[in-house]
Amino acid sequence: MKCVICNREAVKKGYCELHFKAYNNIIEKYDVWKKSSEASWKEYLNSIIKNPLTGEWAREVAEYLIKTVENDVEKI
Amino acid sequence: MESYTLIVTEKPDAAMRIASALDKKGKAKKLEDNGVPYYVAYRDKKIVVVPALGHLYTVTEESKGRNYYPVFNYRWVPRYVAERGAKHIQTWLKTISKLAENADTFISACDYDIEGSLIGYCILKYTCGEKENVSKRMKYSTLTKKELENSYEKMLPHLNFSLIEAGRTRHEVDWLYGVNLSRALTIAARNWSGKYATLSTGRVQGPTLKFLVAREKEIRSFVPTPYWEIKAEVEINGTTFEVEYEKGIIETKHEAKSIIEACKGKEGLIEKINVRQFKQMPPTPFDLGTLQSEAYGLFGYTPRRTLNIAQRLYLDALISYPRTSSQKLPPAINYEAILKNLSKAAQYRKLAEELLAKPELKPKEGKKEDPAHPAIYPTGNLPERVLSEPERRIWDLVVRRFMAVFEEPAIRQSMKAVILVNGHRFYLRGRRTLKEGWLHFYEPYVRSEEVILPDIKEGEKINVKRVILEDKFTKPPPRYNPGSLLKKMEEMGIGTKATRADIIQTLYDRKYVRDERIVVTDLGFEVLEVLEKYCPKVVSIKLTRELEERMDKIQMNSERRENVLIDAIDILKPTLEELKEKEEEIGEQLSKAIKRARLEDRIVGTCPICGTGKLMILYSRKTGKRFIGCTNYFKGVCNASFPLPQKGTVTPLRRNCRECGWPLVQVRIKGKRPWTLCFNPNCPSKERRKT
Repeated sequence: MKCVICNREAVKKGYCELHFKAYNNIIEKYDVWKKSSEASWKEYLNSIIKNPLTGEWAREVAEYLIKTVENDVEKI
Repeated sequence: MESYTLIVTEKPDAAMRIASALDKKGKAKKLEDNGVPYYVAYRDKKIVVVPALGHLYTVTEESKGRNYYPVFNYRWVPRYVAERGAKHIQTWLKTISKLAENADTFISACDYDIEGSLIGYCILKYTCGEKENVSKRMKYSTLTKKELENSYEKMLPHLNFSLIEAGRTRHEVDWLYGVNLSRALTIAARNWSGKYATLSTGRVQGPTLKFLVAREKEIRSFVPTPYWEIKAEVEINGTTFEVEYEKGIIETKHEAKSIIEACKGKEGLIEKINVRQFKQMPPTPFDLGTLQSEAYGLFGYTPRRTLNIAQRLYLDALISYPRTSSQKLPPAINYEAILKNLSKAAQYRKLAEELLAKPELKPKEGKKEDPAHPAIYPTGNLPERVLSEPERRIWDLVVRRFMAVFEEPAIRQSMKAVILVNGHRFYLRGRRTLKEGWLHFYEPYVRSEEVILPDIKEGEKINVKRVILEDKFTKPPPRYNPGSLLKKMEEMGIGTKATRADIIQTLYDRKYVRDERIVVTDLGFEVLEVLEKYCPKVVSIKLTRELEERMDKIQMNSERRENVLIDAIDILKPTLEELKEKEEEIGEQLSKAIKRARLEDRIVGTCPICGTGKLMILYSRKTGKRFIGCTNYFKGVCNASFPLPQKGTVTPLRRNCRECGWPLVQVRIKGKRPWTLCFNPNCPSKERRKT
């Protein structure tokens, strides 16, 4: 199976090793965002997409997640 | 025919310096044989000094062909046998061999380190006819007349064989790793795609790429988190000062806002003033690594450039041998004489005289040692020619650093006033120099911020003009640059002082990395992924460092070269078997990465017309002409296209035009100065040129 974002081999949750690392970071950092600025999941994703400090892979994952935001909100 | 002493040096400039220094009249005669220069000097007897051109011999495989691996049988051969474009070495060796025929004494005067010892050994053994065991050795750290004469008078009775053994082993191990692994990658990619592309890796190159990839992964998957900082502006005696809140990082917006609310419009009270004096110690003398890092930080010179400049200054007898890891300056170099000579230069006169007036000259030294050479220091000689600006800068840096290490520590004072605002504390910080000490000597190269605070007293009330809330985000780790990467390699103990700069350059040449703030390319990622997956041992930093340590031990006579070589082959054998077994898989992965890298090379930037496509350098199928087109053309979305010059090469510059913001390209045509081209036909800069 291919990664949902790039052409690499998917290893977990549909992501390749590199995008999975970024995905994990996004999930982990949401707790900090929620606590510090009370951002919703969607607001959080939008903020990190716009932030120039966000890494390329993290942005790609955030863009992908925002498309499937409804499902993810349920999961979280 | 009159017999003579034959001295072999590493480089032509060194030969000229040595011959002139040893000649009784100081006027050695320059002769040439087939374009190869050599020098004749007279001292106690006739002396012929002949230079090499760095390494004249190299390691190559026993049998011919480049299309196979593993290769474990090798031999030492003249470079022209193994390398294309090294034909001139043949003439060079013929001349040395001819000069060796009538020589009765042989001396190696190559640089006193691993490489220099090996260069001299190979020439004396292979070119001069097995003279390595009867040869003597000159040891010196500067090319000044005095030191060269001294080194000739007190020369070592034989070559330093432990250095030679260490050098041979290093070259052989590096060759085994480099040739086998690079061939495995290149052959795998070529067999899969049918196209040739040079892929390389090596004993140190792989682990270095590993640091870079690890950092790149952190940066690319980085998610910033918000935090807040609070500052305030206070007015003291009519001057406004910025003060910082006691907690540097405030984690929640709610907390930050409540602090702002509490402090707004309130008066401040100076609760406490802490004054502290501290010493700022002088720097240690330069070893090569610290010189390279400092030159990168100050002038932006890559480590390789700094090494090349330092090498030129050394050959001009202006500084001591630069490939050193020592941070020690032994008294034998004669500090006083160096300073006296430096004082002849107007720009150093005052500083040198200040140092000479001291009752004792004692340098502040670092921990690092090098058995062969002291730290880098100025010889005291003044330039005999006009130095280029980069040469002048490096020489000045070395001179000032040398002087700074003899000076007293600087005495600095820091002051922290605690200002209480409605129960919240803010800090007003000041810093000033009480005694300059070494800072005065190293002045242009050291920044010491001076923030002088006004006269304030504890209990004094002050006006808080404004309280400021700043939104901040955590930052990803910084990218390596050539200077910081070199430092990292040094810290991790991989590579040698002489090879690190070249290894970094190779990573650029192979297109595994790009840009000054180093970015790993897709190709770099794929190469490392292959190496980590199929041969993790060869990119293991631990194993590389261990091998490095064992090679250093050969130099100290506490390890045998045979053991190191056998162990290296033992690691390589199973690795190469695995690579061969998975050749198809690896070939596919690498070929795709090469294809992507080649495409990436042609991408100029984002299309300013449609905003979503990428502009690329393309070739017309009809006419074969080169132009810039949008990738969205193939989707029928955008038909932006722009003409390009048809001659020379065009490379994307990865930066935008200052006038119109469109991406720029660079055009290079042979014989012409490269120029930057903005291909936007309506760029204001073009409009201006028309009028």
